[in-house]
Amino acid sequence: MTELQAGQGAQPLEVPRIDARPQRYRDLLIALAAFVLLALLPMMFGSKQLLDFVIRCAAYGLFATSLNLLVGYTGLISFGHGMFFGLGAYGFGLMMQKTGVPIPVAFVATLAMTFVMAVVIGAICVRLKEIYFAFVTLAFQMLIHSTILSWQSLTGGDQGLRGGIPRPPFLGIDLSNHLHLYITSCALLVIGLLLMRQIAQSPFGYTLRMIRDNATRASFIGIDVWRAKLVIFVLAALFAATGGIIMALFVSGAYPEFAYWTISGEGIFINMLGGVTTFLGPMVGTVLLLILNDTVTRLTEYHGIVLGIVILFFAIGLRKGLMDFVVEWFAQHRGEGRG
Amino acid sequence: MTRTRKPGISRRSTLALMGAGAVTFAAPWVARAQAKTIKIGMPTILSGRVAQLGTSSRNAVMLEVEKVNAAGGLAGRQIEMVIRDSKGQPQEAARIARELVNTDGCEMLLDGEASSGSFAVHEVARDLGVLCIHTCSEASSLTADPKQHIPNAFRCVRQGIHDSIVGAGYAAGIAKAKGLKKWATCSPDYAYGRDTTGEFVLYLKKFAPDVEIISESWPKLFQPDYTEVVTKILQAKPQALYSCLWGGDLTSYIDQANIYAMFTQMEVFAVNMADYTALTVVKNLPKGIHSGDRYIKTFPPTPENAAWGDAYKAKYNEYPTNWSWQNATAVMFLNEAVKKANSTDGKKVAEALTGLTIKCPFGADGTVTMRADDHTLVGYAIGWGTTIPQEPYVPDVKAGDWKTIFELEAEWKKSKGYT
Repeated sequence: MTELQAGQGAQPLEVPRIDARPQRYRDLLIALAAFVLLALLPMMFGSKQLLDFVIRCAAYGLFATSLNLLVGYTGLISFGHGMFFGLGAYGFGLMMQKTGVPIPVAFVATLAMTFVMAVVIGAICVRLKEIYFAFVTLAFQMLIHSTILSWQSLTGGDQGLRGGIPRPPFLGIDLSNHLHLYITSCALLVIGLLLMRQIAQSPFGYTLRMIRDNATRASFIGIDVWRAKLVIFVLAALFAATGGIIMALFVSGAYPEFAYWTISGEGIFINMLGGVTTFLGPMVGTVLLLILNDTVTRLTEYHGIVLGIVILFFAIGLRKGLMDFVVEWFAQHRGEGRG
Repeated sequence: MTRTRKPGISRRSTLALMGAGAVTFAAPWVARAQAKTIKIGMPTILSGRVAQLGTSSRNAVMLEVEKVNAAGGLAGRQIEMVIRDSKGQPQEAARIARELVNTDGCEMLLDGEASSGSFAVHEVARDLGVLCIHTCSEASSLTADPKQHIPNAFRCVRQGIHDSIVGAGYAAGIAKAKGLKKWATCSPDYAYGRDTTGEFVLYLKKFAPDVEIISESWPKLFQPDYTEVVTKILQAKPQALYSCLWGGDLTSYIDQANIYAMFTQMEVFAVNMADYTALTVVKNLPKGIHSGDRYIKTFPPTPENAAWGDAYKAKYNEYPTNWSWQNATAVMFLNEAVKKANSTDGKKVAEALTGLTIKCPFGADGTVTMRADDHTLVGYAIGWGTTIPQEPYVPDVKAGDWKTIFELEAEWKKSKGYT
């Protein structure tokens, strides 16, 4: 844990309540500005690759930021968070292929299904600590992955959901149109990030930090640690599923790889790259990883070595994520300035 | 915290950096349309467990592209291949396919993906309308299922259902001759393994109704230890064993089963054995394993095929794989289709490809056809034979009969509700 983080963790609980309202407006304004900027991008640049890039950033960004609610804010290192990404993609894809309901209905129904799954899995997992939690979440992920592979009649097994995901227009939005899909993904990303920011800055968010720093103390002052952990586990699952839905729309299908442990691994990698002590760290990590991935795979097929060196640099060299480093650097810089 | 501003990275330089980044990203690198060269994109698997097959696909494509370019290119345009690694991930395959078309200016796609990746690229082809030839995915549903059908996508690959029909016919002949009634199966536990085994057993029982399956094993894909599978089969004491394990899984299985002298106790039918990647890796290749042909330069037994295998070996210092001949055939098809259409326009080439028959070293009768009604490859050399431990590994391959394949395939399609 960094000094900065320790400083934040030790703050009395009243502080966020005093700051909450103006900060909320500020967050809302930033979110609006970000959305407007993203919406203007296609007008400024005609590049379809850029739009694809942002859509993928939305999918992975929501997934990685939701993972940070567990890893960075609550201290729950989940190795199985990717299962909800996969569940989101499969739930939505199957709903659209089999039932033909309107997209918003399928979206809400997918989140409802994820909610139920997350409550059941979370109720079992959050009782466990550290490495046990990590491994049991991983075990559940592999269970879901195996189920997807074996339940061929429903999921198509290793070939995934075939034949494309139907995307009938709703409220004037046609998600088979690239631009509409882009704007919708941006909206989901911004709304998702804003909601997660509200969770992180709420008193509940500070309760999570307290649990992370000292669960016993939290328990002694009357916090129901198990319930708080379960609530954040379920909330994080919902945002991860939203990321999965965006990915399913992007590739017009769902594949077992979406629920494989490597997706969870990528989430952890993104968090390490971007840093877990700032809210936007995982988002920055997502952009970094995707740029790295896209450029390195363009240039060489030995991308594994390059990405390995980058992660070693962050893990051993910087010993923190990029945003952690930047924030610390600014804090030090200001400290020196005042001094 | 105070908000006093201190010297650091200035706003102006930050903006400049952001601008530079955005411009780099959006830069229209490629002038498209009537460029002199024609770019063909190819997502394939160049890393991970299947990398050897992806690399062999790339090698074969480059071998053929060099020939086409030397002969003047596609309608006078030199081919430039843009080949990228998808790592076997469908979302990466989809992204790369889109990038190849949207940014790199590729006018056609050769899809060197297997399984889920090929379905992901298929959706990109559906979305962008770009001409796409699948060159590696053997999943029958990719072209047999009418839901998958799009006018701009073709499949230049052998198919599981064809292999099963020919394999079952061959195996039934031996079963009748040797009185093999008790059979066991051992195949990987995923869609390909289950489907192919199911179809093989279905046709085996059709051709030899006395056959009975007394043991089934479904090891996981990429399972390292097969001890419990081998002992289970030995305990069941079958007279014959069918397996569609492939690649590293098959070679590990054979090495481990050799310890138990399994191959002296039963007849073994392993559809994916006769591929150089498996034949040359097994430590002690047992004599007399029955296998379907994957790629072997002695089948079809023509000078053209042998010459192609030797040319590949001379250039890359290894033998081609099953994926190699399929990719090479795809380039041959493109070349002939462009000649027929006298254009490189995707739509016109797609029309020319439909139902096209070309001369090909890998054809059962020296030609292969891109069947019109389901856009899939037929007429390729397909057969079964038995192994020997040294070259030519499978000296006598018995060719399958395409007339029977067509009849039974039509029945199979009907039973699946595809027609």
